[in-house]
Amino acid sequence: MHVSDAGAGWAVPDPRELALRIRLRAVRMVAPQGFGYLGQALSSAEQVAAMFASARPGVDRIVCSPGHYIIGPFAAAAELGLIDLSGYGQNGSAFEAIGTERSPVVDYTCGSLGQGLSAALGFALADRFRGSDARIFTLVSDGELEEGQVWEAALFAAHHRLDRLTVLLDANNSQVDGPVDSITTLEPIAAKWSAFGWRVWDLDGHDVSALRAALAAAAAPSGQPGVLVCRTSTRHGLDCLPADADGHFIKLPPSLAAAAVRELTGKLEALRA
Amino acid sequence: MREPPYRTELKPYGRALVEAARQRGEILCLSGDLTRQTEVDLFQAEFPGRFIHGGMAEANMMSMAGALARCGFLPFVHTFGVFATRRPYDQIANAIAYPNLPVRIIGFMPGVSTPGGPSHQATDDVALMRALPNMTVVDVADAVETRQVAAAVVDVPGPVYVRLKRGEIPVIFGDDHVLRLDRAAVLSPGTDVALFASGMMLAAALAAARALGSHGVSVSVVNVPVIKPLDSATVLSAAAGARVVVTAENHSVIGGLGSAVAETMAEAGLGRPLRRVGLRDTFAEGSSDASFLFEKYGLSTGTLVETIWSALGRPGAAPAAPAAAAESGEYSPV
Repeated sequence: MHVSDAGAGWAVPDPRELALRIRLRAVRMVAPQGFGYLGQALSSAEQVAAMFASARPGVDRIVCSPGHYIIGPFAAAAELGLIDLSGYGQNGSAFEAIGTERSPVVDYTCGSLGQGLSAALGFALADRFRGSDARIFTLVSDGELEEGQVWEAALFAAHHRLDRLTVLLDANNSQVDGPVDSITTLEPIAAKWSAFGWRVWDLDGHDVSALRAALAAAAAPSGQPGVLVCRTSTRHGLDCLPADADGHFIKLPPSLAAAAVRELTGKLEALRA
Repeated sequence: MREPPYRTELKPYGRALVEAARQRGEILCLSGDLTRQTEVDLFQAEFPGRFIHGGMAEANMMSMAGALARCGFLPFVHTFGVFATRRPYDQIANAIAYPNLPVRIIGFMPGVSTPGGPSHQATDDVALMRALPNMTVVDVADAVETRQVAAAVVDVPGPVYVRLKRGEIPVIFGDDHVLRLDRAAVLSPGTDVALFASGMMLAAALAAARALGSHGVSVSVVNVPVIKPLDSATVLSAAAGARVVVTAENHSVIGGLGSAVAETMAEAGLGRPLRRVGLRDTFAEGSSDASFLFEKYGLSTGTLVETIWSALGRPGAAPAAPAAAAESGEYSPV
């Protein structure tokens, strides 16, 4: 199942609630192993929820450039009843922790970073050849901006006026070796994309309403691709995580997993009340 | 088979791609800032709406091509062989080879056929592409095969890498020659030597066989246009019928035709003395024209003759290789 498959169908009545459920589902996915890419799910939960709320099932595409983020779309699709996640992370499962060609849900993902935006351009060109107005929502991480290919793709997209393309850039300031800004100065991120010819929205990536509004604004034909620079944290929405949790690869021993489930279940009940 | 010096043609591939694109609307053409050099200025003129300038951004170009193929198009991607393989290797692996998509990667200027120095020499492209699962690797020998290669690869289900000589392309085969992707072609029977050649080394292999034949050495020349998947049945049958086996490739001896033949013979338990003629694990410097490098690095008729002479244990000096005599617009191997 991929979101652009003909016949795909889902509805997201409340993206805020979906973001919470993505967090809870991700905790439960990671808990059996005791570690995993939970930080990616925590920083991108609202972006993933907003993409599923904005995308037209069976028409638009979702690209998850960093394969390490696939936990988020998996969790969202499971919560929307689109897939059965049993076996996630176990030997032989199609649901690997880092996205592969067998990964369902998204239209493209790649564990070798910095390549998804180029694939999104290929989809946009294909849609243009076919006269389709499908949108392509592309999740990109700030760490990926260190790869030169992202900027090759950024140049190409603007030159070819691929305005059906919208990037959700998860600026969580996290990569393997530590905070991104301690390793490479990416700022000013928004000005860089603007200089490359993109329309830019710089916003709180945990504010679902702001994300939805920006995605709606980016849909307008403008002759320019759009990017949402989503300011986020890999610990957002899970207060029980220790302050020094490694955002790239969070350790989740049983006691912490239980606390996380309690916290998120409580938040979900409060939201529904 | 024709005799050297061979007459040459210009743009046999470019014309063939236009013809294939006329038949198949899903063919797209991508170029990495080498449009005239890769003969696809012809495509651009004929089908501007299906032509995409990738610019000098090979990584982006390969990943885009993969996505276009996912959507049902048949992208033909053009640049020099070295930039088509070494530079975007990870993108080809992840976006094209792993999903087994029908992208055709067309790399011009193979081996040391360039005056551009080591940065421009595709001397490990066959090895790199051969190592990728699902990839078909093609190295055609002349204009007759080149004219057929676009149509031949169009329906291969997975990805294909094609290496093509740039510029004046010799016409070696007769017009009735058919390029087959599933067969190596035994061009002459021989009981002393099985000489396997690919791409630009076919002309030298034929010249060497001719020189040796007049000294009583019987050489079976086998043209191997497809290095992967290798036609192991023909390779083993030709090798089994000879006393020594020699390979000739315009490429490193590591990972290309010579390696493929060696692996095939060893796994079949077929023991024959083997000599691999090609670049001996080196970058190639000092070029101002291709024939200088072919001579300097032993990709020559003379080297083949000497290699075969010594592998057979023949006494005395090897016979002299015929002097290359080619007028402007003609081609002879060194």
